[in-house]
Amino acid sequence: MRKPVLTALPAVAAVATLVLASCGSGGQPGSGEVRLRMIESLTGPERTKLIKSLIADFERANPGVTVELVSPPLDSADQKITQILQTKKGLDVLEVRDHTAKSFSNNGWLAELPTTDWPGWSDLTELARKKAVEVGGKPYLIPYGFYQRTLFYRTDFGMAGPPATWQELYESGRRMTSGDRFGYSFRGGKGGADYAVMMISAYNGEALNPEKSFYLKDKRTIFSTPEAAQALDLFVKIFKDASPPDSVSWGYPEMVQGFTSGVTGMLIQDPEVIKTVEESGVTAWATAPIPKGPTGYAYQPVGYAGWGVTSFSEHQKQAVALVRFLSEAKQSIAFAKGNSLIPISTRAQDDPQFSQGAWKAYLQAQQDPKQVITIRPVDYPGWSQFLVDSDRDVQALITGKKTTAEVLAAWDAFWADQAKKVS
Amino acid sequence: MRRVAALAATAAKAVVLAAWLLVTLFPLYWIVVTSLKPKPEIFSVPLRYWPASPTLEHYAELFSFADFGTYLLNSLVVSLVAAAVVTVVGALGGYTLARFAFPGRGALVLAFLVTQMIPLFIALGPLYLLMSDLGLLNRLAGLMVVYVAMLVPFATIIMRGFYERVPVALEEAAQVDGASRLVAMVRVVIPVMLPGIAATFVFAFVQCWNELFLAITFIDSEDSKTVPVAMNSFITQYDIDWGSMAAATVVSVVPTLVLFAVIRRFIVEGLTAGAVKG
Amino acid sequence: MNRAFTLRRARFVMLCLLPGVAFVAVFTYYPMIRGAVIAFQRYNLFDVTATPFAGLENFRAVLAEERFWTALRNTGTWVALSLFFQFFLGFGLALLLRRHFPGRALYQAWVFFPWAMSGFLIGLLWRWMFNGQFGVVNDLLLKAGLIDERIGFLATPGWAMTSVIVANIWYGVTFFAIMITAALQSVPGELYEAAAVDGASRTRRFWHVTLPHIRPTLALIVLLRVIWILNFPDLIYSMTGGGPAGGTDIITTFLIQQVIGGDYGRAGAVGLLVLGLLLSFSVFYLNATRFERAR
Repeated sequence: MRKPVLTALPAVAAVATLVLASCGSGGQPGSGEVRLRMIESLTGPERTKLIKSLIADFERANPGVTVELVSPPLDSADQKITQILQTKKGLDVLEVRDHTAKSFSNNGWLAELPTTDWPGWSDLTELARKKAVEVGGKPYLIPYGFYQRTLFYRTDFGMAGPPATWQELYESGRRMTSGDRFGYSFRGGKGGADYAVMMISAYNGEALNPEKSFYLKDKRTIFSTPEAAQALDLFVKIFKDASPPDSVSWGYPEMVQGFTSGVTGMLIQDPEVIKTVEESGVTAWATAPIPKGPTGYAYQPVGYAGWGVTSFSEHQKQAVALVRFLSEAKQSIAFAKGNSLIPISTRAQDDPQFSQGAWKAYLQAQQDPKQVITIRPVDYPGWSQFLVDSDRDVQALITGKKTTAEVLAAWDAFWADQAKKVS
Repeated sequence: MRRVAALAATAAKAVVLAAWLLVTLFPLYWIVVTSLKPKPEIFSVPLRYWPASPTLEHYAELFSFADFGTYLLNSLVVSLVAAAVVTVVGALGGYTLARFAFPGRGALVLAFLVTQMIPLFIALGPLYLLMSDLGLLNRLAGLMVVYVAMLVPFATIIMRGFYERVPVALEEAAQVDGASRLVAMVRVVIPVMLPGIAATFVFAFVQCWNELFLAITFIDSEDSKTVPVAMNSFITQYDIDWGSMAAATVVSVVPTLVLFAVIRRFIVEGLTAGAVKG
Repeated sequence: MNRAFTLRRARFVMLCLLPGVAFVAVFTYYPMIRGAVIAFQRYNLFDVTATPFAGLENFRAVLAEERFWTALRNTGTWVALSLFFQFFLGFGLALLLRRHFPGRALYQAWVFFPWAMSGFLIGLLWRWMFNGQFGVVNDLLLKAGLIDERIGFLATPGWAMTSVIVANIWYGVTFFAIMITAALQSVPGELYEAAAVDGASRTRRFWHVTLPHIRPTLALIVLLRVIWILNFPDLIYSMTGGGPAGGTDIITTFLIQQVIGGDYGRAGAVGLLVLGLLLSFSVFYLNATRFERAR
């Protein structure tokens, strides 16, 4: 009597969880059915809905294949993807971003996508095909669209026209600032350093090497010049004199909200904001290319992300088919429209949506030889560390905890060191 | 004179208590108000302390857009099972720690205490690989297992405190009557310990119910998400949707409040006991 | 009871301890040890195909970072101020709740409410209340005439730290109140009676009867609290993310940033430093309060 009770009770605890483990979630798919797992990175509620509807179309066209979409919150999505990739199982299709492509391919997690037997390849724009093979020289991903920043401004806040230079942006912004209204949706939080780099690049002008945009043509870093100091000083002045004090911690949502709620008069953001602004009820607004530096140059990278297939997928064929499906003209244009992205399909040129209204600023920028597209050193080992560190430096700078000289010296040292590591 | 002074003291006490109640409840009030405001009103100055046109739209949105019912159910299942297992495991371990001097007891207690000191984050990477190897990713059972592991040390140590309050004589009497040690424990000790057990259970439940970092690490399938994971998803790139967030907060706090109300008496008693000898 | 360690007892002890020890060993210690080993490797997610042994390189790198030291200083402020106010407000509340009054049960139920919320939610809640434009805290202060214009609480370095600490105090007072209420109830009534017979005043009774009796309990819960507050990044993480400019970074949010940066080696090093810090603090603290002897 004694013994059974003795052994039974402690065992209950362990067994209980094991039993639960076996009747947990997820029934196995029936035989012959292929279940793909796909993960997105730049998650947003509307976007997720759109992807799901495209997936539903794919499933209809491919009976026997079902796709489970995983939508981690944006903040930690890439980290989550990396974590899953590390286990080398349970994932077939994934969203690869410009700054994760190198690390994913380094680790051997991405499969090379066959392009020769795919007619859709020739439908892609030159830029799309170039970006598809940018990392590692092989098509590890098919971009789904491009992000490029543009200036949004209120036409009813007393501006005659859009500012053409950063100096003009500062001045108009300062004039607009009074009471509860401010000139500019400053980004002091996550991603803020990107804007500092944008200004520094513009001020460096012709000397900058667009192929490795943190370096000059003479191999020094862009942070080492007196022009960089000028740019960063103005950057701080824009924050102090023309932006809401709260913006010290603003990230994407707050910047956009600031603009759409009428708190700020100018915003520099990606094209998907066009849709947000259109739906916000703000009517008096327009877009323009991003401001330039004193020498008349403006630099910015073209951001992109795309779909890739994992190297360890057990259903390579179906996974590749899904990526192709999403990249074909009809689906990719629908996706670009839904998210206001610069499309990857040559056929989108006939589509009026991408040449009218707010989109005109993009055409204008494309035709201007001094609006230069750059490639950032995203494939350097220190890139992701720099993203974290530089944002914090920017906050330290605008709150007066660091000087422009200190910040530039740190960034210069960091990238001079990175150059040594890569070469 | 003395009565006046006493009266004044009582009045002062009442004022202080009322003030603290206000401080404690105001955020709750504010989140409820926010959840009832239509979107434009949330972002309008001057602030309104009661919505001009109260609406349940955020609640409707919550249960229509996201599968919030499923998340609630998942959270409930995970928290209840994990808390129950933690309580049983803690009760067994705490009993031995309280009643037996055996070699390594001190070391074991120390080992349990150390788990509370190491930041979870350094273990996350390796734990993820382990869970993947065991096939426990994206499963509620996996979450239960890690929650149990996370809470067992605290439960064991606090349970030991409860046992130490139960006179050994009680048990011995039962054993003299011929019952085995375990039967004695179940029949005699457990009833005395009920408040402590309830307190441990509630503590574990609340911890599981609110846990975020482990849940977002191990769960990404829609059908296994728990409430905190889902709420974390509301912070999207496009917009922090304060209305829905407020509604979700209100909904997610309700179960723990109910639990508190039901066994509050036990908790205070139980934690008292645990605190004394913990 | 005879506590001789017989074979039968040994088996009983082992069986009872087995489930707990097994869970903790497999799902806590194993990954923690693996994580600790990574601290001595060059382990960056950028390239996990090569993770060579790196000795103390990660520790040196972390200790050379100014931000680590800022975070360490902030951790001191965060823990000390949070603890101080949580403790004294909690103690005060417990004293007020000691005697029965009409509605006490209901009062306790409501006032313990923050304890039911997660740090993450509390962070979001206070982030919304401290909002620079639409926050209710600003509105109330303006109405009360305490400020003339809205303050960007979470955006200004000094204010941000104050704000997160305020939120943490709001959250933690309850814990102390519960624990101290419990401890107070454990003081045997005879002790007070004896003191009353001796003619001791209420203040005197508090200092000479109550306090000595509950001191060991207080010492223990303070220690537990220090550990938890330090290992509690949830609230700061959802309120400020450690910003502005690292102004609210504590050592654990710093650790999270290392993880997000992909450098697991350094993250491991930070984790071990935290452990070392807490262990040495605990040893020092336990010696100072003579906790074991008091028991």
